[in-house]
Amino acid sequence: MTPARRPGAAGGLSRRHFALALPSALLASGCAAPHRGTGRPGDPIELTLLSHYASGELKQALQGPVDEWNATHDRVKVRTKAVEFTDLLTTFMVRQAAGQGADILHPYCLWNGQLVRAGVLRPAPPEHAEEIGRGYGEAAVRAASVGGEVYGYPTEVQTYALYYNKRLLRAAGLDGPPGTWRELEEAARRTARRDRYGNTLVQGFGLSTYDDSTTVGQTLALLNSAGGRFVSADGRSTAIDSAAGRAVFGLEHRLVVTGASAPGVNVYKAFPSGQVAMVISAGWWTGSLKELMGAGYRDVGVAPVPVPEADGRRATLSTGFMLGVNAASEHPREAWEFLRWLNTEKVGVQGAGRGAAATRMSALQVSVGSLTGRADDMRTLLSGGGDPNLRPFLEALAYAVPEPNVPGAQQAKSLLRKNIEALWTGQRSVDEALRTTRRQVDQEVSRSW
Amino acid sequence: MIRRRFPWLSYLLVVSGAVLTMVPFLDMVMTSFKGPGESGTLPYRFLPKAFDLSNYRAAVEQLDLPVLFRNSVVATAVITGSVLVTSSLAGYALAKLRFPGRDFVFRLVLSTMMFPPFLFFIPHFLILVHWPLAGGNDLFGRGGAGLTVSIVALTMPFLVNGFGIFLMRQFMVSIPDEVLEAARIDGAGEFAVWWRIVVPQTKPVVVTLGLLTFVDAWNEYIWALLVSTADPDVMTLPVGIQLLQDYVDPSRTMPIVMAGLVLSILPVLIVFLLLQKYYIRGVMLSGLK
Amino acid sequence: MVNTLAPETAGQADRGIRYAGPTAAGHRGRARRRQTAVAYLFLAPTLLFFAVFLFLPLGFALLLSMSRWTGFDLGDIEPVGVDNFAGLFADGSTFLTPVLTNTLLYALGTVALALTGSVLVATCIDKLRFQGLWRTLYFLPIVTTVVAVGNVWKYMYEPGGLVNGVLNALGIGSVAFLQDPGTALPSVVVVQAWASVGTAILVLTAGLKSIPGSYYEAAALDGAGPVTVFLRITLPLLRPSLLFVCVTQFLTGLQSFALIIVMTKGGPGDATAVAALEMYRQAFSYGDWGIASAAAFVLFLVVLVVTLLQLLLFRRKGEDA
Repeated sequence: MTPARRPGAAGGLSRRHFALALPSALLASGCAAPHRGTGRPGDPIELTLLSHYASGELKQALQGPVDEWNATHDRVKVRTKAVEFTDLLTTFMVRQAAGQGADILHPYCLWNGQLVRAGVLRPAPPEHAEEIGRGYGEAAVRAASVGGEVYGYPTEVQTYALYYNKRLLRAAGLDGPPGTWRELEEAARRTARRDRYGNTLVQGFGLSTYDDSTTVGQTLALLNSAGGRFVSADGRSTAIDSAAGRAVFGLEHRLVVTGASAPGVNVYKAFPSGQVAMVISAGWWTGSLKELMGAGYRDVGVAPVPVPEADGRRATLSTGFMLGVNAASEHPREAWEFLRWLNTEKVGVQGAGRGAAATRMSALQVSVGSLTGRADDMRTLLSGGGDPNLRPFLEALAYAVPEPNVPGAQQAKSLLRKNIEALWTGQRSVDEALRTTRRQVDQEVSRSW
Repeated sequence: MIRRRFPWLSYLLVVSGAVLTMVPFLDMVMTSFKGPGESGTLPYRFLPKAFDLSNYRAAVEQLDLPVLFRNSVVATAVITGSVLVTSSLAGYALAKLRFPGRDFVFRLVLSTMMFPPFLFFIPHFLILVHWPLAGGNDLFGRGGAGLTVSIVALTMPFLVNGFGIFLMRQFMVSIPDEVLEAARIDGAGEFAVWWRIVVPQTKPVVVTLGLLTFVDAWNEYIWALLVSTADPDVMTLPVGIQLLQDYVDPSRTMPIVMAGLVLSILPVLIVFLLLQKYYIRGVMLSGLK
Repeated sequence: MVNTLAPETAGQADRGIRYAGPTAAGHRGRARRRQTAVAYLFLAPTLLFFAVFLFLPLGFALLLSMSRWTGFDLGDIEPVGVDNFAGLFADGSTFLTPVLTNTLLYALGTVALALTGSVLVATCIDKLRFQGLWRTLYFLPIVTTVVAVGNVWKYMYEPGGLVNGVLNALGIGSVAFLQDPGTALPSVVVVQAWASVGTAILVLTAGLKSIPGSYYEAAALDGAGPVTVFLRITLPLLRPSLLFVCVTQFLTGLQSFALIIVMTKGGPGDATAVAALEMYRQAFSYGDWGIASAAAFVLFLVVLVVTLLQLLLFRRKGEDA
């Protein structure tokens, strides 16, 4: 375009073209991204599995069966990806929005309502749904279902029970763990210690604002054991503003006010250090405690969650995860096949007697100190000795109430958590906390479709 | 100004403020050398027991530093280059060329500066996901992942900056017209006028704007976090450092995070210390409008 | 670009004297058209960018704020009118309190602290030697990433950290700054202010240097003390710079949440949840893009109102003076 006789024209030409070419180059580099999806039916398929088993023994435990699958299957391979749990929900949603959702997802069951409503999960095909209904306990199946339809294989199931430090209880003159709420308060009061600055040295009962599980988990466990429920049966409002709810909030409030609990302390660090006498927490913690405390783990005992009155009916909370298939996956059939292989096929188990068999997922979970919803597998795997502390968690499978998984459940849980924290720090009274929770959760849950 | 006595009070205030400013950085550096159990427990100790580099080694192992670094550098370089080029071109047009609609365009540019970034996170993300003919998308932008799989995604919302255009234009207005006219009469086209005469004269502003953009682009967190969530391969250094928080051994987490942070701020710190004169002048300039 | 100019002027110079009017105008017209074409060519990338990355997103965000959408399939966008806005201000919604109040408090606190600190420091630096050194020192927090600032201060605020170490040395008990809902927001405000003082100092210094020395000389002759000089001369004359700092700091305070994400993620409870963070969470964690966009627009409105208020206030004070 430019006549050559102008000074520096050649340089100007190339420079201008470069300036125009730069945006095109940027776009082109974007186009060079790998194309997803395969061509013909015989092509190798790679399934991606996204979970929060990102490091340490969880990652290794999952990688074992996955490697076994990859070694024994030619056409369909599975690749695991993982992020930390706190980022898991956001990662599911963002990658789905970006068109990069994994084929197989491992969501926390609390999110199932949201994921189903958003069209991320696809329902299990009838044969798989039937198998799931048959093979797993009621709490696990309910957690993995939304609106009556099953959406995946339950994997990890966590039940809540009372951890206690035998040494601290004995030192306070108590024979064993408390069985009723009154005994719980008494024990907490007697085992608590503070220094002269007011810093807590030993908590009687560990209430911790550290994360959802330490704040809401144990509150819901107590609520359930008192016969209350968090979300109503139709899933459109909250049911916590009840006598049971008032009792739970009142109990926690008293524990904080009398100094038996110090919510600012991270109970996950304090209990292994012998600074907390009792905590209500989930079964997975046994593995972590064993590792952290070493020989000190001898002092740890587990008992069922105390009931309000003696002879009351037992109940506790169960939470869990499940493996489901992405609605946008291009290979659902292969994905469900892998899930069946992982979750229902029985393989031999070492050291549990001749002919003993359990599913790969059950073996995986028990190896990291968790449970699955398959009661028969659990009995098989835990029969040969093992950690006696796991027994109360296993028994709780029978009477645990699953965490609600309606759309908006995660937000409802966050709102409940904030109100519990406000209760613990004295910002709200018991009545105010209950009322505010009801107003806020109703607004949030009813908005969901 | 007549200074009658030594400004004790001023020195006191300024020095104590400076100490307050420096102490967190010193704490960061000291902590990066602490061993397991030395940090996070009462009573607090400032100095580490020994100055060994094990935390730095762990940070480098835990993160894929070369990739993070490369992503940050590429994204920052592209953004800085693009802003400089577009601001200079647009600024020149607005300052020195006469054309209908010039005032309107200038006011338009000014108005773009008043929109807050958070308003655009959602739409920008969607635009990138549905970019036609990219990352597996068809002509209408459906089906694939759009631009979110490439490093381009980190740069797109920042390629043009209204503030940069404004800065350039204000500076260029003061370039004498006669020089430009002379060049035109000599037969130079506008592009050559821009490249050969205007650009060299704007060197101070270029350095200033380049620095401001460089620092802002390097430190961008929220957008990088979003893009990295969608595709971890394009994670930048600031986002990656946060991954250190999940280090397996909780008693070493903080020192390792500090080591990672020291590594991540070194480049910007060095660039800044070398060119601080321009940077500071740029900030002062922007306040004098 | 084709150079049509040179030959024409050469040719017309011969006839220019007799046909100066029309041909000169024609010459100007051609030059004008050429300049217009070039100008728009130079502006093309900018205008294209603004069209795609500013106006299109604005329109889309407006559309989303009145729809319900989970963010996956464009065909699923469901218009719901003002339901989202109603939901934001409904009875059980946490948006007004504490989210918006947190946002305003956060911004207010940051501006107050940063402004007072920077005014004092800038004025004092002006009286010292090695001014460049001091300004550079104060500017360091700006250059470090928000991740660095957030993590360093998070660590300092911990029960075993530097701040509590100092408190304990003074005989005061440890405070769990970031875990206690009462202290979490002020703690983050302090960090944001600390990180913003540097820029403010620079802008104010530019303003200080532009105050003519004659004012100070006159004041000295009148025997005015330093405090009087500061209040009666320096502050009023610094007004434009103060306004600039105030407006920009407020803008940052109202909309930035990177520091909060790094330090507290909005916790404990709702104590540090600010509007922009809520918007991010609603869209990208809970998949409720409609409400997120609605929240973004409400926040934008708040930002506009606050900015206009400031401009009005400063102008009125200026008129009084």
